[in-house]
Amino acid sequence: MAMPRFNFWTVVMILTWVLLFVLLFIPVGSVLISSLYDQSGNFTFANYLKFLGEPRFRQAFLNTLVVGFGGLFGALLLGSIMAFCVSRFAIRGGRFVSLLAILALVSPPFIGAYSWIVLFGAGGVVRGFLRDLGISMPPIYGVGGILIVFSLKFYPYVYLMVSGALSNVNRSLEEAAEGLGLTPLQRTFRISFPMVFPALTASGLLALIHAIADFGTPRLLGRGYNVLATEAFTLYSAEVGSNMSMATTISVVLIVVSMVFVLLQRYMSRRNVYHGNMINKPARIQLKGWRNVLAHFAVYFIGLCGALPVIISVIYSFRKTSGPVFQQGFALQSYERILFNLGDVVRNSLTFSFVAVALIVMIGTVVGVLVARRTNLNTALLDGAFMVPYVMPGIVIGIAFIAAFNTGPIVLTGTAAIIILSIFIRRLPYTVRTTASSLRQISPSMEEAAISLGYSPFQAFLRITVPLIVPGIIAGGMLSFVTAINELSSSLVLYVGSTMTMPVRIYLLILDGDFGVAAALSTILLLLSGCAVYIAFRFMGRNEQALL
Amino acid sequence: MSYLVVTDAAKQFGPSFMALNGVSLSVERGEFFTLLGPSGCGKTTLLRAIAGFNDLTSGEITLDGSNLRVVPPHQRDIGMVFQDYAVFPHLSVFDNVAFGLKPRKVPAAQIKTRVTQALEAVRLGAMAERLPAAMSGGQQQRIGLARAMVINPRLLLMDEPLSNLDAKLRIELREEIRDIQKQVDIATIYVTHDQEEALAISDRICVMNSGKIEQIGTPQEIYGNPQTRFVAEFVGTLNIFQPGAALDAMLGKLGLAHAGAATWAVRPEHLDLAGPDSDGNGSATLPGTVSKYTYLGREAHVQVETPAGRLVVQLPNPGMAATREAGEAVSVLVPRTAPMSFSANGARMGG
Repeated sequence: MAMPRFNFWTVVMILTWVLLFVLLFIPVGSVLISSLYDQSGNFTFANYLKFLGEPRFRQAFLNTLVVGFGGLFGALLLGSIMAFCVSRFAIRGGRFVSLLAILALVSPPFIGAYSWIVLFGAGGVVRGFLRDLGISMPPIYGVGGILIVFSLKFYPYVYLMVSGALSNVNRSLEEAAEGLGLTPLQRTFRISFPMVFPALTASGLLALIHAIADFGTPRLLGRGYNVLATEAFTLYSAEVGSNMSMATTISVVLIVVSMVFVLLQRYMSRRNVYHGNMINKPARIQLKGWRNVLAHFAVYFIGLCGALPVIISVIYSFRKTSGPVFQQGFALQSYERILFNLGDVVRNSLTFSFVAVALIVMIGTVVGVLVARRTNLNTALLDGAFMVPYVMPGIVIGIAFIAAFNTGPIVLTGTAAIIILSIFIRRLPYTVRTTASSLRQISPSMEEAAISLGYSPFQAFLRITVPLIVPGIIAGGMLSFVTAINELSSSLVLYVGSTMTMPVRIYLLILDGDFGVAAALSTILLLLSGCAVYIAFRFMGRNEQALL
Repeated sequence: MSYLVVTDAAKQFGPSFMALNGVSLSVERGEFFTLLGPSGCGKTTLLRAIAGFNDLTSGEITLDGSNLRVVPPHQRDIGMVFQDYAVFPHLSVFDNVAFGLKPRKVPAAQIKTRVTQALEAVRLGAMAERLPAAMSGGQQQRIGLARAMVINPRLLLMDEPLSNLDAKLRIELREEIRDIQKQVDIATIYVTHDQEEALAISDRICVMNSGKIEQIGTPQEIYGNPQTRFVAEFVGTLNIFQPGAALDAMLGKLGLAHAGAATWAVRPEHLDLAGPDSDGNGSATLPGTVSKYTYLGREAHVQVETPAGRLVVQLPNPGMAATREAGEAVSVLVPRTAPMSFSANGARMGG
């Protein structure tokens, strides 16, 4: 009786492994192999020795760690202040604050960096204004600027995870501590802090992982402050003397660094998770006087600074321009220019994202069912293999795809397919995992009930389980759409003129100094992302944590 | 031949764990048959094997004379009620109950009448159009019951259906289940670890322990004449006498002796208390002192330290003034018919 199903799932299993081999192991393998051969094709460790030997690379490695840990601490500082205030004190407009955090989270990449340049760069608006007042401040370029941008960009991870953990701390625990004679300060450090510590470390490491994978921000703000991601791109894209084997060597190093922190992050987010019974939910205290003002100021200052790039780019997208130069007053010129000149870029982005998301949803769901329902050694291995894309910074996926599909049996360079597939493989694990975990939450007796009522196992799955997981799948698909349409770093390596996407175009426009059109394109991206997030929340309830 | 027959059922998990080890039983038409035992005793494994969700490692199951093991679960026509209700959250109460009628190609008009009837039977007639998510556990389990019954199954299986409900509701719903089962007259196998529930609801009870059957019998037989020490201890409560001179003297006075009896035991409700110097009136007496008094309303438990060990005496209808103080000297009355003896391997001895 189980034979046809057995065959179906075996086929799925084999196809999944084929998929992983072609889209993941072969590209990553190509990177590894390429890093072990010199330009003329001889096996050598020279690239790694060069990496260790050359100050330029050693510096990039060090810089990567600096921005990673800097991003971690900045995000932890801002995020935990905000989380603590919002979940423990009565803050007016709490939902609006959460919205600001979401805005920072879904804002197009590196637009943050540019908006900060607009305000605090060499010719920055705020700097200019302050200079007129006689206050001189240094421009935002360099490591300081990168850290400010990272802190403001990644604090939502900490805020969302820690406020979730804080509102899960059973108030009875704090009351018990109070009964045992601990002062409020002792209570905070000895009871509340250990309870949210796992969330703090897990979210901090998440910020670190994103910080070391980020390409756009150090590229625009660094001004000579190079990290591994930018070095890999520079080596790959140099007009003269493009050094693929050195680029792949740096990619391997970046994978290893990233892998260490991803494993650490997963370890931290699994252990010490306290599940309180939620009988006694924590209450929010109404602060009085200057404390109240201070708490509100902190929350809104962080929220608005984080959302500032978005606000700036929306405003600038409506400013009147003459060529790339801004004029006084407002106009729709930037949008007109997109409509007449950049329609194909918008169309590309939409098509690529829709195709990638459709593939992710279809294949991810089936594989998720496989992983959740057919538990054996093979599916456990499969589940593990799906970890790999997590540790792959986008720029590395891009370089790996070039290394694998430039020559040989499958040539994909310059096609739309290669961009779609790079997005597909990076986001597929999320769908597999969310599908698997939502399946595990549905009691198996639900399907058994349907079977006992006369439905075949497949029918029971179709009529009971599928309707129950579809809202989650749609929501997950929408969130994948947000990442897909905002994807820059892998597309930047993979695009050619005809397959240019919106983030790539924005990046090039910013390099050309054409910020009006870049801002308008960003606004459109933001609008699309916002719609997708809205739809996702409609399907699964407002759940900011799902954005992480 | 009986209606449902299980012969030599065995189920092995992993290399060595036997969840079922040579289980044979038979259930008659219309019978309410309960599998009773502690968790891990194999009762749920047996139930799921009958439902078809896990196959046996070896053994036979026949229903109405035909081999059940070759029939896929969805063609067995066996209704099942689950511990976690397994009510479909995306379907209305009506659609939940109608769910099993659709693959049976029942005409729409008939679906309507049968579902309405089933919902009336479980007293949910007024809630047909509601979604089950917001309903109480008791109501959800009524849906589960109506859903399993409405298909007129050949057999009804219930896997601890009341264990997630609070005590009062559990008693109320078990009475209803009993009444409905008698009305529809479907052979039912009911799994529980609650001995009181099993006694209250069953025609016959099968007590299981570590994959084996300890005893099958009516509630009266199981409680009143347990065949193993396990059954006697699991169903009801039991005082175990401490072996020694005091026990031997008591048995001598009662004229009880079983060669090879390893354990003597007595149920608390068969004991009584008398003044410190009572002669017992045909019963044996054990002198002792009260160490604890527990008042439970309709009964009271008096814990007495005697030379034959610590004994709990259950007193019915304890009056307001009947309180015993700790340290009070009393005599425990042991009637001749009360003590039970078990051999070293736990089997009941003699009469």
